[in-house]
Amino acid sequence: MKPHRRKKLGIILFIATGLSVAIGLSLYALSSNIDLFFTPTQVAAGEVTPGQRIRVGGMVKEGSVEHNQEDLQVRFIATDYSHDVDIYYSGILPDLFREGQGIVVEGAMGADGTFVASRVLAKHDENYMSPEVKAALDAAELQRSMTQGGT
Amino acid sequence: MWLWFSKLGSPRWFYELSSKWLPWLYAAMAILGLVGLTWALLFVPEDYQQGETIRIMYVHVPVASISLACFPLMAVAGTITLVWKMKLADMVAKCAAPIGLWFTGLALATGAIWGEPIWGTWWAWDARLTSMLIQFFLFIGVVALRSAIESPDNAAKACAVLSIVGAINVPIIKYSVEWWNTLHQPSSDYSMDPVSPNPPEVWVPLFIMICAVYVFFVITLILRTRNEILVRERRSQWVKDLVARA
Repeated sequence: MKPHRRKKLGIILFIATGLSVAIGLSLYALSSNIDLFFTPTQVAAGEVTPGQRIRVGGMVKEGSVEHNQEDLQVRFIATDYSHDVDIYYSGILPDLFREGQGIVVEGAMGADGTFVASRVLAKHDENYMSPEVKAALDAAELQRSMTQGGT
Repeated sequence: MWLWFSKLGSPRWFYELSSKWLPWLYAAMAILGLVGLTWALLFVPEDYQQGETIRIMYVHVPVASISLACFPLMAVAGTITLVWKMKLADMVAKCAAPIGLWFTGLALATGAIWGEPIWGTWWAWDARLTSMLIQFFLFIGVVALRSAIESPDNAAKACAVLSIVGAINVPIIKYSVEWWNTLHQPSSDYSMDPVSPNPPEVWVPLFIMICAVYVFFVITLILRTRNEILVRERRSQWVKDLVARA
């Protein structure tokens, strides 16, 4: 490579590296603002001021969903398996909403410690498979836990 | 190796060689596209959570992955333009920008169509979606910058710099789902086991679709570049001969 080209390439690489480091550091500094939602653990740690509009993300706790019989009001618990948040919501839930499903709720913390949601979004994971494969996996899981319970 | 490198930089050489590649690429795209689309739309089993909606993935993932590949391609071409002043590299960079813009737009659109029924929203300001939107604007910026500067040499330099700087966004898009918590799910792992999450019946057709769309991207890029070569080299003898023969 000719010297003047080597020099030019060096300058380009130097600037690109410098910019990457600068952008990387700013993103690192902003990381809590870039997160889409607070986890129940962060809510329990008091990182959330009541009344402030935020999003909370977690799993719908098994057996926690209580539908009101007359209207669309629903109460459930969002959990990250170490802390829980009580959620109140009145409106139409996404199709994917079910117990054990990942969700993101938008709203504000009430004074009584219940999160009043104005919107519920469903999250799904990166595992795709047919219902048959899922059933086969669940059956294998059940068998494993039963044989472990027996011994 | 250096001889080959400088030969590849010759527009005439590329024009003649790409004429030989194109029929093969057309055939590959027809076969891959036909097999991939039929398989993905008719024979992939429905998802245990998402049902038939999962088929959107077979378009969304290929266009998104190509839109992510396009910016680094422009950055490499831009570096070659700045350092070695190779004419062909700048032509490729110029022709890739509008294609990348379209693919980014398609990725955003198919993502919104997928998000509405499954997440319950068209759009969320999460890290993946937002960084992808930034890439969309960066592509618009590169295309606009190219047409805003009258002198082709200056436009080439300015676009090369913007492409190199903008390529920093690509790893941010790629790892956004791991670095921050997002509504968008992380990348899937492939599994060879038919009874496991992401079994071959799910990812083999996806892989075929990704190849098909990649070939489509390469064909479009070659066709646009050949056009650009003819326009820029219109005063050279070989183009005049070519036109006279046609």
